[in-house]
Amino acid sequence: MSITLAGVTAGYGRDRAIVADIDLTIRTGEVTVLIGPNGCGKSTLLKTIGRLLKPRSGAIHVDDLDVLRNDPKRVARTIAYLPQSPVVPTAITVEQLVGYGRAPHQSLLGLRSPRDIELVDQAIATTGLDDLRARPVAELSGGQRQRAFIAMALAQDTPYVMLDEPTTFLDIRHQVETLDLIRQLHDAGRTSIVVLHDIAQAARYGDRLVVMHEGKIVAEGRPADVVTPDLLREVYGLECAVYPDPVSGTPVVTPR
Amino acid sequence: MTEIGLPRSTTSRAVTLIVALVVLVIAAALWGISVGAVAIPVDVIVNTLFNLDGEQQTYIIIKSRLPRMVLALLAGGALALSGAIIQAVIRNPLASPNIIGINSGAALFALGMVLVFPAIPVAWMPLAACIGGLLAASFVMLVAHYRNLSAVHLALIGVAVGFVFQAGVDYLLITSSDSESSAPMIWLTGSLWGRTWGHVAISWIPLLALSAVALLLSYRLDLIALGEGTATGLGLNVPRQRLILLFVATMLASVAVAVVGVMGFIGLMAPHIARRLVGGSHRLMLPVSALVGMLLVVLADSIGRAIAPPIEISAGILAALIGAPFFVYIMLTTASET
Repeated sequence: MSITLAGVTAGYGRDRAIVADIDLTIRTGEVTVLIGPNGCGKSTLLKTIGRLLKPRSGAIHVDDLDVLRNDPKRVARTIAYLPQSPVVPTAITVEQLVGYGRAPHQSLLGLRSPRDIELVDQAIATTGLDDLRARPVAELSGGQRQRAFIAMALAQDTPYVMLDEPTTFLDIRHQVETLDLIRQLHDAGRTSIVVLHDIAQAARYGDRLVVMHEGKIVAEGRPADVVTPDLLREVYGLECAVYPDPVSGTPVVTPR
Repeated sequence: MTEIGLPRSTTSRAVTLIVALVVLVIAAALWGISVGAVAIPVDVIVNTLFNLDGEQQTYIIIKSRLPRMVLALLAGGALALSGAIIQAVIRNPLASPNIIGINSGAALFALGMVLVFPAIPVAWMPLAACIGGLLAASFVMLVAHYRNLSAVHLALIGVAVGFVFQAGVDYLLITSSDSESSAPMIWLTGSLWGRTWGHVAISWIPLLALSAVALLLSYRLDLIALGEGTATGLGLNVPRQRLILLFVATMLASVAVAVVGVMGFIGLMAPHIARRLVGGSHRLMLPVSALVGMLLVVLADSIGRAIAPPIEISAGILAALIGAPFFVYIMLTTASET
Protein backbone atom coordinates (compact mmCIF):
# COMPACT_ATOMS: atom_id res chain seq x y z
CA MET A 1 0.00 0.00 0.00
CA SER A 2 1.65 3.21 -1.16
CA ILE A 3 1.73 6.01 -3.69
CA THR A 4 4.24 5.27 -6.41
CA LEU A 5 5.54 7.60 -9.08
CA ALA A 6 7.51 6.12 -11.95
CA GLY A 7 9.39 8.34 -14.39
CA VAL A 8 7.07 11.33 -13.93
CA THR A 9 7.93 14.37 -16.04
CA ALA A 10 5.68 17.43 -15.94
CA GLY A 11 5.66 21.13 -16.80
CA TYR A 12 3.48 23.97 -17.98
CA GLY A 13 2.55 24.69 -21.60
CA ARG A 14 5.45 24.21 -23.97
CA ASP A 15 8.07 25.33 -21.48
CA ARG A 16 10.75 22.98 -20.27
CA ALA A 17 9.74 20.40 -17.69
CA ILE A 18 9.58 21.60 -14.08
CA VAL A 19 9.94 18.11 -12.66
CA ALA A 20 11.86 15.52 -14.67
CA ASP A 21 11.84 11.75 -14.46
CA ILE A 22 10.74 11.48 -10.83
CA ASP A 23 10.64 8.08 -9.16
CA LEU A 24 9.15 8.20 -5.67
CA THR A 25 7.39 5.89 -3.26
CA ILE A 26 5.29 7.42 -0.50
CA ARG A 27 4.83 4.96 2.34
CA THR A 28 1.45 4.46 3.91
CA GLY A 29 1.02 5.69 7.47
CA GLU A 30 3.72 8.35 7.33
CA VAL A 31 3.75 12.11 7.04
CA THR A 32 5.95 12.83 4.04
CA VAL A 33 7.12 16.42 3.68
CA LEU A 34 8.37 17.82 0.38
CA ILE A 35 10.90 20.62 0.84
CA GLY A 36 13.24 22.58 -1.40
CA PRO A 37 13.93 26.10 -2.61
CA ASN A 38 11.40 28.18 -4.56
CA GLY A 39 10.89 26.82 -8.04
CA CYS A 40 12.36 23.41 -7.23
CA GLY A 41 9.19 21.66 -8.42
CA LYS A 42 7.69 20.50 -5.12
CA SER A 43 4.30 22.15 -5.72
CA THR A 44 4.35 21.03 -9.34
CA LEU A 45 4.93 17.46 -8.23
CA LEU A 46 2.01 17.66 -5.80
CA LYS A 47 -0.22 19.16 -8.50
CA THR A 48 0.72 16.31 -10.80
CA ILE A 49 -0.25 13.69 -8.23
CA GLY A 50 -3.40 15.77 -7.58
CA ARG A 51 -4.29 15.56 -11.33
CA LEU A 52 -4.21 19.33 -11.65
CA LEU A 53 -1.35 18.99 -14.09
CA LYS A 54 -1.15 16.22 -16.65
CA PRO A 55 2.33 14.71 -16.72
CA ARG A 56 4.10 14.46 -20.08
CA SER A 57 5.24 10.98 -19.24
CA GLY A 58 5.33 8.52 -16.39
CA ALA A 59 2.80 6.72 -14.25
CA ILE A 60 1.23 7.44 -10.86
CA HIS A 61 -0.41 4.74 -8.79
CA VAL A 62 -2.21 5.07 -5.48
CA ASP A 63 -2.38 1.56 -4.09
CA ASP A 64 -3.47 -0.29 -7.22
CA LEU A 65 -5.36 2.65 -8.70
CA ASP A 66 -3.92 4.23 -11.84
CA VAL A 67 -4.45 7.89 -11.01
CA LEU A 68 -4.11 9.19 -14.56
CA ARG A 69 -6.44 6.71 -16.22
CA ASN A 70 -9.21 6.43 -13.68
CA ASP A 71 -12.46 8.28 -13.16
CA PRO A 72 -11.52 11.50 -11.29
CA LYS A 73 -14.34 10.95 -8.79
CA ARG A 74 -13.02 7.52 -7.92
CA VAL A 75 -9.50 8.88 -7.44
CA ALA A 76 -10.98 11.62 -5.21
CA ARG A 77 -12.36 8.91 -2.93
CA THR A 78 -8.81 7.67 -2.37
CA ILE A 79 -6.72 10.81 -2.30
CA ALA A 80 -7.64 14.34 -1.18
CA TYR A 81 -5.77 17.36 -2.49
CA LEU A 82 -5.80 20.90 -1.10
CA PRO A 83 -4.14 23.54 -3.29
CA GLN A 84 -1.98 26.34 -1.98
CA SER A 85 -4.19 29.29 -0.91
CA PRO A 86 -7.49 27.80 -2.08
CA VAL A 87 -10.16 30.11 -3.50
CA VAL A 88 -12.55 31.25 -0.78
CA PRO A 89 -16.09 30.96 -2.16
CA THR A 90 -18.53 33.84 -1.62
CA ALA A 91 -21.52 33.42 0.70
CA ILE A 92 -20.70 29.81 1.66
CA THR A 93 -20.72 28.74 5.31
CA VAL A 94 -18.12 26.56 7.03
CA GLU A 95 -20.61 23.70 7.20
CA GLN A 96 -21.36 23.96 3.48
CA LEU A 97 -17.66 24.05 2.62
CA VAL A 98 -16.90 21.00 4.75
CA GLY A 99 -19.92 19.32 3.12
CA TYR A 100 -18.28 19.70 -0.31
CA GLY A 101 -15.72 17.19 0.92
CA ARG A 102 -18.43 14.57 0.49
CA ALA A 103 -18.93 15.39 -3.20
CA PRO A 104 -16.83 12.46 -4.51
CA HIS A 105 -19.14 10.11 -2.61
CA GLN A 106 -22.36 11.74 -3.80
CA SER A 107 -24.49 11.81 -6.91
CA LEU A 108 -24.96 14.78 -9.24
CA LEU A 109 -27.27 16.71 -6.91
CA GLY A 110 -25.10 16.31 -3.84
CA LEU A 111 -27.85 14.91 -1.61
CA ARG A 112 -26.46 13.95 1.77
CA SER A 113 -26.79 10.56 3.39
CA PRO A 114 -26.71 10.11 7.19
CA ARG A 115 -23.12 8.90 6.75
CA ASP A 116 -22.24 12.16 4.98
CA ILE A 117 -23.75 14.19 7.80
CA GLU A 118 -21.87 12.15 10.39
CA LEU A 119 -18.51 12.60 8.66
CA VAL A 120 -19.04 16.34 8.20
CA ASP A 121 -19.90 16.73 11.89
CA GLN A 122 -16.83 14.70 12.82
CA ALA A 123 -14.55 16.78 10.60
CA ILE A 124 -15.94 20.00 12.07
CA ALA A 125 -15.43 18.69 15.61
CA THR A 126 -11.88 17.46 14.91
CA THR A 127 -10.83 20.85 13.56
CA GLY A 128 -12.52 22.72 16.41
CA LEU A 129 -14.90 24.61 14.15
CA ASP A 130 -18.15 23.85 16.00
CA ASP A 131 -18.73 27.47 16.99
CA LEU A 132 -18.03 28.71 13.49
CA ARG A 133 -20.01 26.20 11.45
CA ALA A 134 -22.75 28.64 10.42
CA ARG A 135 -20.33 31.48 9.63
CA PRO A 136 -19.41 32.40 6.03
CA VAL A 137 -15.91 31.14 5.24
CA ALA A 138 -15.06 34.54 3.74
CA GLU A 139 -15.48 36.16 7.18
CA LEU A 140 -13.01 33.86 8.96
CA SER A 141 -9.39 34.64 9.80
CA GLY A 142 -6.62 33.00 7.78
CA GLY A 143 -6.03 30.28 10.35
CA GLN A 144 -9.71 29.47 10.70
CA ARG A 145 -10.10 29.29 6.91
CA GLN A 146 -7.20 26.87 6.65
CA ARG A 147 -8.86 24.72 9.31
CA ALA A 148 -12.13 24.80 7.39
CA PHE A 149 -10.40 23.60 4.21
CA ILE A 150 -8.57 20.88 6.12
CA ALA A 151 -11.94 19.85 7.60
CA MET A 152 -13.26 19.60 4.03
CA ALA A 153 -10.37 17.28 3.11
CA LEU A 154 -11.07 15.28 6.28
CA ALA A 155 -14.74 14.87 5.38
CA GLN A 156 -13.57 13.50 2.04
CA ASP A 157 -12.58 10.48 4.13
CA THR A 158 -9.65 9.38 1.98
CA PRO A 159 -6.70 7.28 3.12
CA TYR A 160 -4.32 9.81 1.51
CA VAL A 161 -4.27 13.59 1.99
CA MET A 162 -2.07 16.07 0.11
CA LEU A 163 -1.62 19.63 1.33
CA ASP A 164 0.27 22.27 -0.65
CA GLU A 165 1.93 24.79 1.71
CA PRO A 166 -0.89 24.76 4.26
CA THR A 167 0.99 27.13 6.59
CA THR A 168 1.69 29.94 4.12
CA PHE A 169 0.30 33.33 5.24
CA LEU A 170 -0.39 32.05 8.76
CA ASP A 171 1.19 33.42 11.93
CA ILE A 172 3.27 31.07 14.03
CA ARG A 173 0.45 29.99 16.33
CA HIS A 174 -1.82 29.08 13.44
CA GLN A 175 1.06 27.39 11.68
CA VAL A 176 1.57 25.16 14.71
CA GLU A 177 -2.18 24.52 14.96
CA THR A 178 -2.29 23.45 11.33
CA LEU A 179 0.76 21.21 11.70
CA ASP A 180 -0.66 19.64 14.87
CA LEU A 181 -3.80 18.90 12.88
CA ILE A 182 -1.69 17.09 10.30
CA ARG A 183 -0.14 14.97 13.07
CA GLN A 184 -3.68 14.25 14.27
CA LEU A 185 -4.56 12.99 10.79
CA HIS A 186 -1.51 10.77 10.98
CA ASP A 187 -2.56 9.40 14.35
CA ALA A 188 -5.99 8.67 12.88
CA GLY A 189 -4.27 6.46 10.30
CA ARG A 190 -4.09 8.73 7.28
CA THR A 191 -1.09 9.12 5.05
CA SER A 192 -0.26 12.70 4.23
CA ILE A 193 2.03 14.44 1.78
CA VAL A 194 2.71 18.03 2.67
CA VAL A 195 4.71 20.77 0.96
CA LEU A 196 6.39 23.06 3.51
CA HIS A 197 8.91 25.88 3.31
CA ASP A 198 10.26 25.84 6.84
CA ILE A 199 12.94 23.18 7.20
CA ALA A 200 12.70 23.01 11.00
CA GLN A 201 8.93 22.54 10.84
CA ALA A 202 9.33 19.92 8.13
CA ALA A 203 11.86 18.08 10.27
CA ARG A 204 9.70 18.29 13.35
CA TYR A 205 6.38 17.26 11.84
CA GLY A 206 7.46 14.96 9.03
CA ASP A 207 8.27 11.28 9.43
CA ARG A 208 10.10 11.43 6.16
CA LEU A 209 11.54 14.27 4.10
CA VAL A 210 11.83 14.43 0.35
CA VAL A 211 14.20 17.19 -0.75
CA MET A 212 13.85 18.57 -4.27
CA HIS A 213 16.21 20.73 -6.26
CA GLU A 214 15.84 21.85 -9.87
CA GLY A 215 13.12 19.36 -10.65
CA LYS A 216 14.90 16.36 -9.16
CA ILE A 217 14.75 14.54 -5.86
CA VAL A 218 18.16 15.03 -4.28
CA ALA A 219 17.61 13.44 -0.88
CA GLU A 220 15.03 11.33 0.87
CA GLY A 221 14.80 9.85 4.34
CA ARG A 222 14.38 10.51 8.05
CA PRO A 223 14.77 14.21 8.98
CA ALA A 224 17.86 13.62 11.12
CA ASP A 225 19.58 11.83 8.26
CA VAL A 226 18.59 14.29 5.54
CA VAL A 227 19.01 17.75 7.07
CA THR A 228 22.79 18.24 7.03
CA PRO A 229 25.03 21.26 6.34
CA ASP A 230 26.22 19.58 3.12
CA LEU A 231 22.69 19.17 1.78
CA LEU A 232 21.70 22.72 2.69
CA ARG A 233 24.77 24.06 0.90
CA GLU A 234 24.00 21.98 -2.18
CA VAL A 235 20.29 22.77 -2.35
CA TYR A 236 19.90 26.28 -0.94
CA GLY A 237 23.47 27.51 -1.51
CA LEU A 238 23.65 28.54 2.12
CA GLU A 239 26.23 27.78 4.81
CA CYS A 240 24.25 26.60 7.83
CA ALA A 241 24.69 25.16 11.28
CA VAL A 242 22.40 22.24 12.10
CA TYR A 243 21.63 21.44 15.75
CA PRO A 244 18.91 19.55 17.59
CA ASP A 245 15.70 21.37 18.56
CA PRO A 246 15.65 21.75 22.37
CA VAL A 247 12.02 20.60 22.50
CA SER A 248 11.66 17.87 19.90
CA GLY A 249 15.27 16.89 19.25
CA THR A 250 14.72 17.18 15.49
CA PRO A 251 17.19 19.21 13.39
CA VAL A 252 16.99 23.02 13.37
CA VAL A 253 18.85 25.18 10.87
CA THR A 254 20.62 28.49 11.42
CA PRO A 255 22.49 30.24 8.60
CA ARG A 256 26.10 31.06 9.41
CA MET B 1 -33.22 9.79 4.40
CA THR B 2 -31.34 12.43 2.51
CA GLU B 3 -31.20 16.16 2.73
CA ILE B 4 -29.39 18.74 0.71
CA GLY B 5 -26.98 19.53 3.46
CA LEU B 6 -27.76 23.06 4.42
CA PRO B 7 -28.80 24.13 7.88
CA ARG B 8 -32.52 23.47 8.23
CA SER B 9 -33.22 27.13 8.98
CA THR B 10 -31.48 28.19 5.74
CA THR B 11 -33.48 25.72 3.68
CA SER B 12 -36.86 26.62 5.20
CA ARG B 13 -36.08 30.32 4.84
CA ALA B 14 -35.23 29.75 1.20
CA VAL B 15 -38.42 27.79 0.60
CA THR B 16 -40.47 30.62 2.12
CA LEU B 17 -38.60 33.08 -0.06
CA ILE B 18 -39.15 31.02 -3.21
CA VAL B 19 -42.90 30.79 -2.50
CA ALA B 20 -43.02 34.56 -1.90
CA LEU B 21 -41.16 35.21 -5.16
CA VAL B 22 -43.50 32.93 -7.12
CA VAL B 23 -46.49 34.86 -5.73
CA LEU B 24 -44.80 38.17 -6.62
CA VAL B 25 -44.01 36.99 -10.15
CA ILE B 26 -47.63 35.89 -10.72
CA ALA B 27 -48.97 39.17 -9.31
CA ALA B 28 -46.56 41.19 -11.48
CA ALA B 29 -47.52 39.19 -14.58
CA LEU B 30 -51.24 39.76 -13.96
CA TRP B 31 -50.64 43.47 -13.48
CA GLY B 32 -48.50 43.45 -16.62
CA ILE B 33 -51.36 41.96 -18.63
CA SER B 34 -53.75 44.61 -17.28
CA VAL B 35 -51.70 47.70 -18.16
CA GLY B 36 -51.05 49.26 -21.56
CA ALA B 37 -52.80 51.31 -24.22
CA VAL B 38 -56.08 49.65 -23.16
CA ALA B 39 -56.36 49.05 -19.42
CA ILE B 40 -57.96 45.73 -18.55
CA PRO B 41 -59.30 44.95 -15.04
CA VAL B 42 -57.86 41.86 -13.34
CA ASP B 43 -61.24 40.06 -13.17
CA VAL B 44 -61.52 40.31 -16.95
CA ILE B 45 -58.01 38.86 -17.27
CA VAL B 46 -58.90 35.93 -14.99
CA ASN B 47 -62.16 35.37 -16.93
CA THR B 48 -60.24 35.33 -20.19
CA LEU B 49 -57.32 33.16 -19.08
CA PHE B 50 -59.51 30.49 -17.50
CA ASN B 51 -62.43 30.97 -19.90
CA LEU B 52 -64.90 31.84 -17.12
CA ASP B 53 -68.32 33.47 -17.52
CA GLY B 54 -68.36 37.24 -17.66
CA GLU B 55 -66.56 39.85 -19.67
CA GLN B 56 -63.54 38.65 -21.63
CA GLN B 57 -60.87 40.49 -23.66
CA THR B 58 -59.68 37.65 -25.81
CA TYR B 59 -58.01 39.61 -28.58
CA ILE B 60 -55.76 41.94 -26.59
CA ILE B 61 -54.94 39.43 -23.87
CA ILE B 62 -54.44 36.24 -25.85
CA LYS B 63 -52.99 37.73 -29.02
CA SER B 64 -50.92 40.56 -27.63
CA ARG B 65 -50.19 40.64 -23.92
CA LEU B 66 -50.06 36.98 -22.91
CA PRO B 67 -47.31 35.97 -25.35
CA ARG B 68 -45.13 38.85 -24.24
CA MET B 69 -45.66 37.93 -20.57
CA VAL B 70 -44.73 34.32 -21.32
CA LEU B 71 -41.62 35.55 -23.13
CA ALA B 72 -40.75 37.93 -20.29
CA LEU B 73 -40.89 35.01 -17.85
CA LEU B 74 -38.89 32.65 -20.06
CA ALA B 75 -36.25 35.21 -21.03
CA GLY B 76 -35.92 36.73 -17.59
CA GLY B 77 -35.33 33.33 -16.04
CA ALA B 78 -32.93 32.28 -18.80
CA LEU B 79 -30.81 35.44 -18.63
CA ALA B 80 -30.58 35.19 -14.83
CA LEU B 81 -29.58 31.50 -14.90
CA SER B 82 -27.04 32.22 -17.61
CA GLY B 83 -25.51 35.03 -15.56
CA ALA B 84 -25.41 32.91 -12.39
CA ILE B 85 -23.62 30.08 -14.20
CA ILE B 86 -21.10 32.39 -15.84
CA GLN B 87 -20.33 34.16 -12.56
CA ALA B 88 -19.67 30.83 -10.84
CA VAL B 89 -17.53 29.42 -13.65
CA ILE B 90 -15.48 32.54 -14.29
CA ARG B 91 -15.42 33.36 -10.57
CA ASN B 92 -15.79 37.02 -11.33
CA PRO B 93 -18.61 39.08 -9.84
CA LEU B 94 -18.54 41.33 -12.90
CA ALA B 95 -19.26 38.42 -15.20
CA SER B 96 -22.53 38.13 -17.10
CA PRO B 97 -23.59 36.86 -20.52
CA ASN B 98 -22.13 40.13 -21.81
CA ILE B 99 -18.67 39.24 -20.70
CA ILE B 100 -18.22 36.26 -22.93
CA GLY B 101 -19.48 38.29 -25.84
CA ILE B 102 -22.80 36.47 -26.16
CA ASN B 103 -25.07 39.50 -26.30
CA SER B 104 -23.10 41.43 -28.89
CA GLY B 105 -22.49 38.27 -30.93
CA ALA B 106 -26.21 37.55 -31.00
CA ALA B 107 -27.04 41.18 -31.73
CA LEU B 108 -24.56 41.39 -34.63
CA PHE B 109 -25.88 38.30 -36.38
CA ALA B 110 -29.54 39.19 -35.91
CA LEU B 111 -29.04 42.76 -37.09
CA GLY B 112 -26.80 41.63 -39.93
CA MET B 113 -29.52 39.32 -41.15
CA VAL B 114 -32.18 42.03 -41.04
CA LEU B 115 -30.07 44.81 -42.57
CA VAL B 116 -27.81 42.97 -45.00
CA PHE B 117 -30.15 40.19 -46.12
CA PRO B 118 -33.61 41.79 -45.88
CA ALA B 119 -35.00 39.03 -48.10
CA ILE B 120 -34.71 36.44 -45.32
CA PRO B 121 -38.00 36.18 -43.35
CA VAL B 122 -37.83 37.90 -39.94
CA ALA B 123 -38.83 34.62 -38.30
CA TRP B 124 -35.24 33.48 -38.85
CA MET B 125 -33.82 36.34 -36.81
CA PRO B 126 -33.75 34.32 -33.55
CA LEU B 127 -31.75 31.58 -35.22
CA ALA B 128 -29.24 34.10 -36.54
CA ALA B 129 -28.91 35.58 -33.05
CA CYS B 130 -28.22 32.12 -31.62
CA ILE B 131 -25.49 31.49 -34.15
CA GLY B 132 -23.85 34.81 -33.30
CA GLY B 133 -24.00 34.22 -29.56
CA LEU B 134 -22.62 30.72 -29.86
CA LEU B 135 -19.87 31.88 -32.19
CA ALA B 136 -18.69 34.55 -29.77
CA ALA B 137 -18.85 32.27 -26.76
CA SER B 138 -17.34 29.28 -28.58
CA PHE B 139 -14.35 31.35 -29.55
CA VAL B 140 -13.78 32.36 -25.94
CA MET B 141 -14.43 28.84 -24.64
CA LEU B 142 -12.26 27.06 -27.18
CA VAL B 143 -9.32 29.38 -26.65
CA ALA B 144 -9.71 28.96 -22.90
CA HIS B 145 -10.04 25.19 -23.22
CA TYR B 146 -7.07 24.52 -25.47
CA ARG B 147 -4.72 26.98 -23.83
CA ASN B 148 -5.99 26.00 -20.37
CA LEU B 149 -6.47 29.62 -19.41
CA SER B 150 -7.22 31.00 -15.98
CA ALA B 151 -10.62 32.45 -15.14
CA VAL B 152 -9.27 35.98 -15.39
CA HIS B 153 -7.82 35.45 -18.87
CA LEU B 154 -11.07 33.88 -19.98
CA ALA B 155 -13.02 36.93 -18.82
CA LEU B 156 -10.59 39.34 -20.49
CA ILE B 157 -10.71 37.51 -23.82
CA GLY B 158 -14.50 37.54 -23.52
CA VAL B 159 -14.50 41.30 -23.07
CA ALA B 160 -12.27 41.73 -26.13
CA VAL B 161 -14.44 39.45 -28.29
CA GLY B 162 -17.52 41.33 -27.09
CA PHE B 163 -15.99 44.62 -28.23
CA VAL B 164 -15.24 43.23 -31.69
CA PHE B 165 -18.86 42.12 -32.16
CA GLN B 166 -20.12 45.39 -30.69
CA ALA B 167 -18.00 47.27 -33.23
CA GLY B 168 -19.74 45.23 -35.93
CA VAL B 169 -23.14 46.20 -34.52
CA ASP B 170 -22.21 49.89 -34.48
CA TYR B 171 -20.89 49.66 -38.04
CA LEU B 172 -24.14 48.10 -39.26
CA LEU B 173 -26.24 50.75 -37.55
CA ILE B 174 -24.18 53.64 -38.95
CA THR B 175 -23.96 52.35 -42.51
CA SER B 176 -27.56 51.19 -42.70
CA SER B 177 -29.39 53.68 -44.90
CA ASP B 178 -32.71 52.07 -44.13
CA SER B 179 -34.12 54.45 -41.56
CA GLU B 180 -37.78 53.68 -42.12
CA SER B 181 -37.86 51.12 -39.37
CA SER B 182 -36.68 51.69 -35.80
CA ALA B 183 -37.17 48.01 -34.99
CA PRO B 184 -33.44 47.16 -34.83
CA MET B 185 -32.80 49.99 -32.38
CA ILE B 186 -35.73 48.96 -30.18
CA TRP B 187 -34.60 45.34 -30.27
CA LEU B 188 -31.06 46.34 -29.27
CA THR B 189 -32.33 47.99 -26.10
CA GLY B 190 -34.17 44.79 -25.13
CA SER B 191 -37.87 44.99 -25.70
CA LEU B 192 -40.94 42.79 -25.73
CA TRP B 193 -42.66 45.10 -28.19
CA GLY B 194 -44.50 43.25 -30.94
CA ARG B 195 -43.70 39.78 -29.58
CA THR B 196 -46.14 37.07 -30.66
CA TRP B 197 -46.88 33.40 -30.04
CA GLY B 198 -44.50 32.75 -32.93
CA HIS B 199 -41.61 33.93 -30.74
CA VAL B 200 -42.86 31.74 -27.88
CA ALA B 201 -43.13 28.77 -30.20
CA ILE B 202 -39.49 28.92 -31.28
CA SER B 203 -38.06 29.52 -27.83
CA TRP B 204 -40.01 27.76 -25.09
CA ILE B 205 -38.69 24.25 -25.60
CA PRO B 206 -34.98 25.18 -25.64
CA LEU B 207 -35.38 27.66 -22.77
CA LEU B 208 -37.23 25.23 -20.49
CA ALA B 209 -34.93 22.33 -21.34
CA LEU B 210 -31.77 24.39 -20.79
CA SER B 211 -33.14 25.80 -17.52
CA ALA B 212 -33.78 22.26 -16.30
CA VAL B 213 -30.22 21.24 -17.21
CA ALA B 214 -28.87 24.30 -15.39
CA LEU B 215 -30.76 23.36 -12.23
CA LEU B 216 -29.52 19.77 -12.44
CA LEU B 217 -25.93 21.01 -12.62
CA SER B 218 -26.33 23.42 -9.69
CA TYR B 219 -24.23 21.39 -7.24
CA ARG B 220 -21.40 21.14 -9.78
CA LEU B 221 -21.45 24.92 -9.89
CA ASP B 222 -20.78 25.00 -6.14
CA LEU B 223 -17.73 22.81 -6.66
CA ILE B 224 -16.43 24.68 -9.69
CA ALA B 225 -16.76 27.96 -7.77
CA LEU B 226 -14.11 26.58 -5.37
CA GLY B 227 -11.49 27.07 -8.08
CA GLU B 228 -9.68 24.59 -10.27
CA GLY B 229 -7.37 23.16 -7.59
CA THR B 230 -9.97 22.40 -4.94
CA ALA B 231 -12.59 21.24 -7.46
CA THR B 232 -10.09 18.86 -9.09
CA GLY B 233 -9.21 17.49 -5.66
CA LEU B 234 -12.91 16.79 -5.15
CA GLY B 235 -12.99 14.67 -8.30
CA LEU B 236 -14.32 17.14 -10.86
CA ASN B 237 -12.95 17.18 -14.39
CA VAL B 238 -12.78 20.97 -14.30
CA PRO B 239 -12.01 21.83 -17.96
CA ARG B 240 -14.80 19.57 -19.20
CA GLN B 241 -17.36 20.77 -16.64
CA ARG B 242 -16.45 24.38 -17.36
CA LEU B 243 -17.11 23.80 -21.05
CA ILE B 244 -20.46 22.09 -20.44
CA LEU B 245 -21.64 24.79 -18.04
CA LEU B 246 -20.57 27.66 -20.27
CA PHE B 247 -22.28 25.99 -23.24
CA VAL B 248 -25.55 25.77 -21.29
CA ALA B 249 -25.19 29.40 -20.18
CA THR B 250 -24.46 30.57 -23.73
CA MET B 251 -27.44 28.79 -25.22
CA LEU B 252 -29.72 30.17 -22.50
CA ALA B 253 -28.62 33.75 -23.10
CA SER B 254 -28.53 33.43 -26.91
CA VAL B 255 -32.06 32.09 -27.19
CA ALA B 256 -33.25 34.77 -24.77
CA VAL B 257 -31.49 37.55 -26.70
CA ALA B 258 -33.00 36.13 -29.88
CA VAL B 259 -36.55 36.66 -28.66
CA VAL B 260 -36.33 39.71 -26.40
CA GLY B 261 -33.19 41.49 -27.59
CA VAL B 262 -30.28 42.70 -25.51
CA MET B 263 -31.09 43.01 -21.81
CA GLY B 264 -27.55 42.90 -20.52
CA PHE B 265 -28.25 43.98 -16.99
CA ILE B 266 -30.51 41.08 -15.97
CA GLY B 267 -27.76 38.48 -16.20
CA LEU B 268 -25.49 40.57 -14.02
CA MET B 269 -28.00 41.76 -11.46
CA ALA B 270 -30.34 38.84 -10.79
CA PRO B 271 -27.61 36.46 -9.56
CA HIS B 272 -26.19 39.09 -7.19
CA ILE B 273 -29.63 39.78 -5.74
CA ALA B 274 -30.23 36.03 -5.37
CA ARG B 275 -26.88 35.45 -3.69
CA ARG B 276 -27.71 38.20 -1.25
CA LEU B 277 -31.09 36.63 -0.51
CA VAL B 278 -30.15 32.94 -0.07
CA GLY B 279 -26.35 32.73 -0.08
CA GLY B 280 -23.95 31.08 -2.50
CA SER B 281 -25.25 27.50 -2.58
CA HIS B 282 -26.41 27.17 -6.17
CA ARG B 283 -29.08 24.57 -5.45
CA LEU B 284 -31.02 27.41 -3.79
CA MET B 285 -29.39 30.34 -5.53
CA LEU B 286 -30.18 29.24 -9.11
CA PRO B 287 -33.96 28.94 -8.71
CA VAL B 288 -34.09 32.20 -6.73
CA SER B 289 -31.96 33.86 -9.39
CA ALA B 290 -34.34 32.71 -12.15
CA LEU B 291 -37.35 34.02 -10.22
CA VAL B 292 -35.66 37.38 -9.61
CA GLY B 293 -34.83 37.58 -13.34
CA MET B 294 -38.46 36.84 -14.25
CA LEU B 295 -39.74 39.44 -11.81
CA LEU B 296 -37.36 42.09 -13.11
CA VAL B 297 -38.23 41.58 -16.77
CA VAL B 298 -41.99 41.34 -16.15
CA LEU B 299 -41.94 44.49 -14.01
CA ALA B 300 -39.72 46.35 -16.47
CA ASP B 301 -41.97 45.47 -19.41
CA SER B 302 -45.15 46.32 -17.52
CA ILE B 303 -43.90 49.63 -16.16
CA GLY B 304 -42.62 50.48 -19.63
CA ARG B 305 -46.15 50.16 -20.95
CA ALA B 306 -47.82 51.83 -17.95
CA ILE B 307 -45.79 55.07 -17.89
CA ALA B 308 -47.15 56.82 -20.99
CA PRO B 309 -49.47 54.63 -23.07
CA PRO B 310 -49.62 54.07 -25.99
CA ILE B 311 -45.87 54.80 -26.05
CA GLU B 312 -43.72 51.91 -24.80
CA ILE B 313 -40.37 52.19 -23.10
CA SER B 314 -38.08 49.20 -23.67
CA ALA B 315 -37.94 46.65 -20.87
CA GLY B 316 -34.15 46.56 -21.09
CA ILE B 317 -33.93 50.27 -20.34
CA LEU B 318 -36.34 50.05 -17.41
CA ALA B 319 -34.73 46.91 -16.01
CA ALA B 320 -31.50 48.88 -15.71
CA LEU B 321 -33.33 51.88 -14.24
CA ILE B 322 -35.16 49.82 -11.59
CA GLY B 323 -32.36 47.40 -10.89
CA ALA B 324 -29.33 49.66 -10.83
CA PRO B 325 -30.08 51.51 -7.58
CA PHE B 326 -30.90 48.23 -5.82
CA PHE B 327 -27.79 46.66 -7.29
CA VAL B 328 -25.56 49.51 -6.10
CA TYR B 329 -27.12 49.22 -2.64
CA ILE B 330 -26.34 45.49 -2.55
CA MET B 331 -22.77 46.05 -3.69
CA LEU B 332 -22.23 48.70 -1.03
CA THR B 333 -23.64 46.59 1.78
CA THR B 334 -21.70 43.45 0.82
CA ALA B 335 -18.43 45.20 -0.03
CA SER B 336 -16.77 43.80 3.09
CA GLU B 337 -17.37 40.19 2.02
CA THR B 338 -15.14 40.36 -1.02
